[in-house]
Amino acid sequence: MANAVEQLLNALALAGLLFLVSAGLSLVFGILRVVNFAHGVFYMLGAYLGFTTVALTGWFWPALVVVPPAVGVLGAVLESSTLRFIYRRPPIYQLLLTFGLALILEESIRVLYGPTAKGVEPPPLLQGAINLGGLLYPRYRLFLVVLGCAVGVAVLLFLRLTRAGLVIRAVAQNHEMADCLGADVARVRTLVFGAACALAGLGGVAAAPMTTAYLGMGIGVIVDAFVVVVVGGLGSIGGSMAGSLIVGAAQTWGAFYLPETAMVIMYAVMGVILVFRPWGLLGEEE
Amino acid sequence: MRRRRFLALSAATLATPTFLRRAWAQAPIKIGMPAALSGGYAQYGIQAKRAADLFAKDIKAKGILGRPVEFIFEDTAGDPATAVRKAQKLVEKDGVKFLTGVALSSEALAVSAKCPEWKVIFMSTINGAGTLTTKSFHRYFFRVNTSGPMGARAVSLYLAESPMKRFFALGADYAWGRDSVASFTSQITAAKKDIVGTDFPPVGTKDFASYIAKIRQSRADGVFLVLPGQDATIYMKQAHQFGLNREVKPIMEILELENMKAVGDAMVGAIGSSRYPFTVDTPKNREFVKRFHELHGVYPDMFDGETYEGLEWLAQVITKAGTDDVEKVIDAWEDSTYEGLEGPFLMRKCDHQAVQPGFAVECVKDPKYPHPIPKILATYPGDKVTPKCRTEEFS
Repeated sequence: MANAVEQLLNALALAGLLFLVSAGLSLVFGILRVVNFAHGVFYMLGAYLGFTTVALTGWFWPALVVVPPAVGVLGAVLESSTLRFIYRRPPIYQLLLTFGLALILEESIRVLYGPTAKGVEPPPLLQGAINLGGLLYPRYRLFLVVLGCAVGVAVLLFLRLTRAGLVIRAVAQNHEMADCLGADVARVRTLVFGAACALAGLGGVAAAPMTTAYLGMGIGVIVDAFVVVVVGGLGSIGGSMAGSLIVGAAQTWGAFYLPETAMVIMYAVMGVILVFRPWGLLGEEE
Repeated sequence: MRRRRFLALSAATLATPTFLRRAWAQAPIKIGMPAALSGGYAQYGIQAKRAADLFAKDIKAKGILGRPVEFIFEDTAGDPATAVRKAQKLVEKDGVKFLTGVALSSEALAVSAKCPEWKVIFMSTINGAGTLTTKSFHRYFFRVNTSGPMGARAVSLYLAESPMKRFFALGADYAWGRDSVASFTSQITAAKKDIVGTDFPPVGTKDFASYIAKIRQSRADGVFLVLPGQDATIYMKQAHQFGLNREVKPIMEILELENMKAVGDAMVGAIGSSRYPFTVDTPKNREFVKRFHELHGVYPDMFDGETYEGLEWLAQVITKAGTDDVEKVIDAWEDSTYEGLEGPFLMRKCDHQAVQPGFAVECVKDPKYPHPIPKILATYPGDKVTPKCRTEEFS
């Protein structure tokens, strides 16, 4: 029993982290129609900036508040100075551009921070393990479960209930029509790209105490995030939630119960889902 | 057409001797380093580069055979296919006769396989996979560093004496991880102790929770870890958060400074082997650590030391051979000895594995240093930790 609970929590904690990264990737695709290869690097940037903030202030919580907006602003600036000019070009240009941005950002981080991974301590409140009826479980992972859920609900409510959310959904559905109706499409795109980067930055800060901030963490996470988005459906936040849960469960349970398949199980699950729903679980059939 | 080509050819032939003669006088000895300088394994390539920078500075005045030494770096990003491509460029375009600084065993296996065809020496100073000096061995390959099975051997010798009885083995799912776990398993079983579980997480695993749960359930006394740099850091961090390190002693095939810096105090108490612990107390090493720290501002990690030793030894054999002719250098290197930073080295002729001391170390805190350091628990002479020729068995 304790074992099953532990496996469930492990899957949820990983899913929480995956959701923070994949939600932004999915949003950007839904609204900008761009597959953003640089998304993982914004996650990595979040982790490194989190490290810097903790080193400067001695506190973890400020990093969680300050870093995501900073990463978001950088994202918005990069969108309005580069991506904006190639929306009308074939998708290969966007691939090249975002891939190039990823390389430039990653190597800049290496030059600035050096090759050694940077450890970040969780805040004192979340350090160590808590006893859940005989099961020792790290407090910080429980926090990741809560954070993932909270952000997921917040993003869903924002898109469903606010006027800004309405405009974003309108642009996603038909940007030309939204333009005719007076929505500032260019501005929506910039803000959505920035918000997506901020979410990735938040994911990075949240991941740092669990994985440390290290070079290559962006590439590692982007592969998982793509699988999440494909499984859940491109452009759907609810889909990202479902996809994160599925990929989180496949990875943790796969490693536990079928260790020899740890590498492939995630892709096997994705394959099965795509056979039955090529547009993803909650995506829209085109 | 034919006449013009004939003229061009003869012009070229006439021009060659003067060109060659001029080049001969100052032609540098070129050493090619296709190293992982970016990406997730950059820390290893950067160690190789730091060692090369210090060596270049030390040798600058006298050179090798009176010729200057030139290092040419290429970035492989830790990818075997790129490593082969960059190595080929170094050999064919730059004309290097010596390749070193390759970071990963997977890259080394790919590059080394090409060296007999290229007729260049591959000097390993980092690569752990046992197969490089057994199944995949050839005349052009030399391993200066301690191999994975040798590291596993040093740890096993130490553990045989310890009260710990039950072990779990966790190795990264590639050549080095699988080799070292196999070697550890056979030696621990021979010492009448138990392996209670084995797992091979993929390289780049970022969540070890499932493995941590299994290790805890196995009720092992110690867990033998064969994980490359970043994976080891993440494992140690997470095992600490789960409170596992207090229950199950972490035993690492390589106990690296990089991990100690990144993990910090949570790493204290971990034991393992070290290819080169910078705390080893020999006059030559004390001097080296001092010069290294002056140049780079940090203490040398395992492959800083091992790569420096390789370069110094290579210079010594080229000098002994009196030429940088590859075949003659190989002959001069076989069965030669060298005084390394941590003790005497011997390059065995039969498999080109350098016989050298092995270490069991523990990660401890020392107020003199800004991060935890390796403290030497036991030193084993080369003949005890080096496997029999072309095998992974020990006498």
